[in-house]
Amino acid sequence: MFKKFSSEEVSAQNQVKASVQRKIRQSIAEEYPGLEPVLEDLLPKKSPLIVAKCPNHLNLVLVNNVPLFFNIRDGPYMPTLRLLHQYPNIMKKLQVDRGAIKFVLAGANIMCPGLTSPGGALDDEVEAETPVAIMAEGKQHALAIGFTKMSAKDIRTINKGIGVDNMHYLNDGLWKMERLE
Amino acid sequence: MAEKPQPVQVLYCGVCGLPAEYCEFGPDFEKCKPWLIQNAPDLYPDLLKGAGAGDADKVSDQLQSTSISSDAGSSKPKEEVKRLPGGKIKKKEKQEVIIEKVTRNKRKCITTVKGLDLFGIKLNDASKKLGKKFATGASVVKGPTEKEQIDVQGDIAYDIVEFITDTWPDVPESAIFFIEDGKKVSAS
Ligand SMILES: [Zn+2]
Repeated sequence: MFKKFSSEEVSAQNQVKASVQRKIRQSIAEEYPGLEPVLEDLLPKKSPLIVAKCPNHLNLVLVNNVPLFFNIRDGPYMPTLRLLHQYPNIMKKLQVDRGAIKFVLAGANIMCPGLTSPGGALDDEVEAETPVAIMAEGKQHALAIGFTKMSAKDIRTINKGIGVDNMHYLNDGLWKMERLE
Repeated sequence: MAEKPQPVQVLYCGVCGLPAEYCEFGPDFEKCKPWLIQNAPDLYPDLLKGAGAGDADKVSDQLQSTSISSDAGSSKPKEEVKRLPGGKIKKKEKQEVIIEKVTRNKRKCITTVKGLDLFGIKLNDASKKLGKKFATGASVVKGPTEKEQIDVQGDIAYDIVEFITDTWPDVPESAIFFIEDGKKVSAS
């Protein structure tokens, strides 16, 4: 999604109304209870929250010009990788094997076998249509943010085709956009 | 829960900007190398070994062969696997079938079967037969060393030997082994 993404794609940047800001904050707090203690630092109630509209119904949530979350239409908010790297335990994790790393970093969606092979790992609690952190065999930090197409259990048993959509990965356009001026 | 988590400090590469551990997959590992030797020698110990300026493929291949898979890590048979320049594996292993029960979480497990292909058995075909016989899911998957193995859902380790020797008479019972607690145990 962010493969060819740059600031030129942003069609409008707006400071949102207080009520919208509250709603965004609440959805993020519900989706990532682990962030609750630092939520005030990340999304201060007093600082303006900017939502940048981008093509394909993509919205970026920014504070002080730094992209922190994104979502599609009214879908769940997902953290940027830079934010996830700081708070790695806020999301459930799936792990791909080493062989899959280069494909994920090229923007490919995540195929089931890359998660079910001995180098991969699945958290059985993960349901379908859930934002997840994509980790990699032998690596400490996440390399992508994914959105599951099937539950972890189905990924294991079906073991075929795309298990997780690759939403955002290291070195894609959003990764390179550390700030949006 | 109420405690404030401290943000993790990630070491980002000064050259390509990725977390330093991903430089090897980055746009230009060669350019990152001098920075990595200076700032992250622990991540790429091979860079420090003399031929640090060698080619990236070589280094990443070395990394690959030293990386340990988390799941079945302790129990992999130590075989001489040589990588050819094209990334293909030169097979030097004995004709053996290795059966291992891998626990995926508390109550579920799969039984992996490695090495049937060394007896000229088509893995796809074998996987179908196993699935049918044990009324369960079976699939051919790439193992950690890029070798293919069959994963069968459930613990079937104890019935599988008879099934293999009955179905494929070319496989002697003496060539079938179990991995139990990290040890290789003969099935016969
Ligand atoms: Zn680098």
